[in-house]
Amino acid sequence: MTLVAAARRPGLRRVEQIMGTAISLDLADDLPAATLHELAGDTFAWLREVDARFSTYRADSEVCRLDRGELPLAGASADLRAVLERCADLWTGTDGYFDAYATGRLDPSGYVKGWAAQVASDRLVAAGAPNHCVNAGGDVRVRGHAATGDPWRIGVRHPWDPAATCLVLTGTDLAVATSGVYERGHHVVDPRRGAPATGLRSVTVVGPDLGVADAYATAAVAMGEAGIGWLDRLPGPWRHAVVTDDARLLHSRALPLVP
Amino acid sequence: MRRALLAITGLAAGTTALVVLKGTPGTGQAAPDRPVAQAPVAAGGSAAPAPAPSGVTPSARPSASAKPSARAGAGRTPGARGGTTTRATTAAPRATTSAPKVSTRTVTGPTVAYRYGSLRVQITLSGSRIVDATGLDMPVGGQEGLRADDVQARYSGSSGEVVAKQSANLDTVSGATYTSTAYKQSLQAALDKA
Repeated sequence: MTLVAAARRPGLRRVEQIMGTAISLDLADDLPAATLHELAGDTFAWLREVDARFSTYRADSEVCRLDRGELPLAGASADLRAVLERCADLWTGTDGYFDAYATGRLDPSGYVKGWAAQVASDRLVAAGAPNHCVNAGGDVRVRGHAATGDPWRIGVRHPWDPAATCLVLTGTDLAVATSGVYERGHHVVDPRRGAPATGLRSVTVVGPDLGVADAYATAAVAMGEAGIGWLDRLPGPWRHAVVTDDARLLHSRALPLVP
Repeated sequence: MRRALLAITGLAAGTTALVVLKGTPGTGQAAPDRPVAQAPVAAGGSAAPAPAPSGVTPSARPSASAKPSARAGAGRTPGARGGTTTRATTAAPRATTSAPKVSTRTVTGPTVAYRYGSLRVQITLSGSRIVDATGLDMPVGGQEGLRADDVQARYSGSSGEVVAKQSANLDTVSGATYTSTAYKQSLQAALDKA
């Protein structure tokens, strides 16, 4: 039975708990089992490394040591310095609504998870696995085609029903990040008011880079309804879908929906 | 005579306030981030401190058009959000004499049409002095709601529909970050087991 299933569906799927969430990897390339396992092993090793270095929950992480002043910026890794630069760019690019210092201390998590998954996906392409899906706790990076041979189909979770979706996207090269208040309560804080953000129940941003998509989605939620207009003015490749607190669904005209 | 002068000054202030109230929708729309401040000052020096803007554009919080330069969030009054009948009291003209005993009365102005609909202004006078000004029939949600509608009008046919459930053959699910525990109940977990 297993052999039949394996024959029908090439590739490998694996889930690991990292960064306080579940990360699902779907390798769809028809590669030898040993190669697939090695690729999956490398991918999860990278994500665990990011967690160890960037976690705000680990006192010995690079981020925590930098925040406490024990590590000079010049002594920080190239990755960390690059992440901090991107966070600064995103702060500017989101009118201050994406704020790695929103909690009063350095917390780049809002960018790091998406960035780590994006890097993992880039590395898989470079390693000869151009057909894959990385899902880091709801932030998705797809490339190529699923094992069925069709473009990837990405559901967007229904904001009131964990077992349903409200949109289905499809594509061969997409980063899809969703931020919302339904999973962990009104945890997104409007950094300007210091109060929980309201107005938008869920924001999904689709584009070329998962770290940026995640930061944009978080920023839009923090903006409240003003975030709709802000998203609408994002340039070129960025697309979005919004569900308001009163259950209205709005989305870009060019959102890659399943026909 | 002095009393008459006061009454005239008060009337001037009242007229100015009404003009300000009437004129504001355009102002608020053109520069939503700077709602108050630049209201004309009454000739009599009885500065009616722009009662309207907070009433007409209840959402004084950072608007969608806020640019980085507005980051400091200066001039925001978060509390104004959603206040469909946000009131703004006018400052009393500086009376140098003790005011005579007067009764309070309320006057409702005519319905004024503006870009996003129509509104009426209600003022409360104590004698000839405006002590309160309120916008009536304000659109629910204020400026932000209007912006959303603007955006909605520019979207495709599926815009603004009630969020519906879709079922389809899925490979993966994007959603707000779940905890490791919440993952177990997630649709993604079901897909991973499939």
